Amino acid sequence: MANTPVPHGDAEAHRKHTNPVLVFGILTIATIFEVVVTLFHLPQNVIVPILLAVAFVKAGLVAAYYMHLRYEKWIYTAIFITPALFAVFLIFTLAM
Amino acid sequence: MNQTTVAPRPISAEAVHANENRKFGMWLFLSSELLIFAGLIGAFVLTRRNAFQNGLEWWEPNAFSLALVSVNTFILLASSLMVVLGIEAIRVNDQRKLRRYLILTAILGAMFLGGQAVEYSLLIFEEGHSFADPFGSAFFTLTGIHGLHVFVGVIWCLVTLMVARRGTFSSYNYTTVEIFGLYWHFVDLIWVIIFTVVYLTN
Repeated sequence: MANTPVPHGDAEAHRKHTNPVLVFGILTIATIFEVVVTLFHLPQNVIVPILLAVAFVKAGLVAAYYMHLRYEKWIYTAIFITPALFAVFLIFTLAM
Repeated sequence: MNQTTVAPRPISAEAVHANENRKFGMWLFLSSELLIFAGLIGAFVLTRRNAFQNGLEWWEPNAFSLALVSVNTFILLASSLMVVLGIEAIRVNDQRKLRRYLILTAILGAMFLGGQAVEYSLLIFEEGHSFADPFGSAFFTLTGIHGLHVFVGVIWCLVTLMVARRGTFSSYNYTTVEIFGLYWHFVDLIWVIIFTVVYLTN
């Protein structure tokens, strides 16, 4: 029935989410790792892929757990992942 | 009256459908924003490469700059956590906690902008960079547009806070907060990439 009251959104809202403080901890540790790695003055062709890989993992964590893509409809992931892949390709191509 | 004790009112199926459409629209907007930032980050990387190839002056962050921007990164990550905790609070109809986390988000966002202002003043007045040199043009354009997004986010957060103070949101109706959260996390996500590309892979 059209006017039947329903809770916000769908089952997503009531599913158990990963502890956001844990995700924040991982993001902070990854950031510290990135800064520390740069202090070792490794060759550019070694350090740049490592740093970019960590950055994209961090971005993925933000998208998956903070933006709730992991729990949302697949269409949102499809909308976001398409330009994201293009962006990753562009930045990797120009950075390498 | 303590608003956390007010029983939430369910919303109609039409309103739920409308909220889904708003979220869908937000995701479309964010995907277009992603492409804008991909272009800006790409332009920065290309300008840096050209500067190195042509022997032009480029900037290398000193210890203070790196420490400042690392703290700023931590601040932005913490602000994202505040938004998540705010949304979790309103999911269980805790409006007071939502308002508290929104205030913290706005404060952290303003702190990030303050840190960026300090960084800009050092670069411009101490190191003499400007839009005229290759580094300045690429750096200020990229980080400036990101900073503008943070500024818009802080204003948006304060508007959301004002709406929250009227008791509009509940465990049945918090899509407006979610949509603001999507924008804020997106700005955080972009900063994660900018931090690495601009400051760490020099």
